Amino acid sequence: MRISIYRFNPETDAKPRMQDYDVTPEAGDKKLLDALMRLKTIDDSLSFRRSCREGVCGSDAMNINGRNGLACLTSLAGLKEPVVLRPLPGFPVIRDLIVDMTQFFAHYNAIKPYLINDELTPERERLQTPEERDRLNGLYECILCACCSAFCPSYWWNPDKFVGPAGLLQAYRFISDSRDTATAERLAYLDDVYRLYRCRTIMNCTEVCPKGLSPSHAIERIRLALVRESS
Amino acid sequence: MRAPPGSAPKFLNLSQIRFPIGAIASIGHRISGVLLLVALPLLALALDRSLRSEAEFEALRDLVSAPARALLLVVVVWAASHHVLAGLRHLLMDAGIGSRLDQARTSAWAAIIAAAVIALAVAIRWLS
Repeated sequence: MRISIYRFNPETDAKPRMQDYDVTPEAGDKKLLDALMRLKTIDDSLSFRRSCREGVCGSDAMNINGRNGLACLTSLAGLKEPVVLRPLPGFPVIRDLIVDMTQFFAHYNAIKPYLINDELTPERERLQTPEERDRLNGLYECILCACCSAFCPSYWWNPDKFVGPAGLLQAYRFISDSRDTATAERLAYLDDVYRLYRCRTIMNCTEVCPKGLSPSHAIERIRLALVRESS
Repeated sequence: MRAPPGSAPKFLNLSQIRFPIGAIASIGHRISGVLLLVALPLLALALDRSLRSEAEFEALRDLVSAPARALLLVVVVWAASHHVLAGLRHLLMDAGIGSRLDQARTSAWAAIIAAAVIALAVAIRWLS
């Protein structure tokens, strides 16, 4: 199988180039990551992130044949050849398929991705009804792989100001948590022409989420919550 | 040949990205909006001229009936149709109507095809 990969070594290359490889998948090689691991044995200078190899850690996000996805969840069967692999669009490239995610995580950090509760700590855990717990479904599963934000045109053009689909989905995860008491502050932070309202409902985020989540739905719910709050 | 510090490359070649249909409908909305902005003053001038007298109306009709110019008008018709349809789609989705992925894909296809059909119908009528 032929794979064409974006190569860039900051120590030797002035600009990126594409390099073609031929790799023969062996028995048991099912996913794109398996082929990449095989390539690594041919060319150990090839750099990419990977860890859990089963769609939980979110490290091997990349642009696969023009769409973002996780190499470990992308089946080799059905991939059009040559398989063209490039780093996540719009993110600064550190080396080959490894991108700098500093800004992405700065946005994540800014939405305060932890439970805030200023009430007295109960003797036992803070209980939720099954319905309240259900509200977190479709939100808590996000693995922060950045497939969505790196496929969002609004994020490409304003990565410093727009929180992006991943950050907004995470923000909504805490807004909708019945145990969190900082909803008003969270909404006030997001109520901004860039942070939230740069979203143009293109829905590229939902199209590519490898976990099948819908950041665009979370963004819609945040907007509705802001409308309700102001009326 | 070391890259200068702080100049990390970015991959953002839009021709190498495979856009979902919703993105095509969205960028079409922008492009049609720009076209309308450019066309609107000319259309207003044309309307003003066509209302002055019957002779002016006839002269204007002759002017725009040349195929190349009529084609430009077809482009404006496409722009207006696509902008209205894709705009309505966005408004509805902002209100939470049809914002599920499968619905959004269908409405994006619908807006793109309907605008193309309207433009085609006008082209057939004007150019035949």
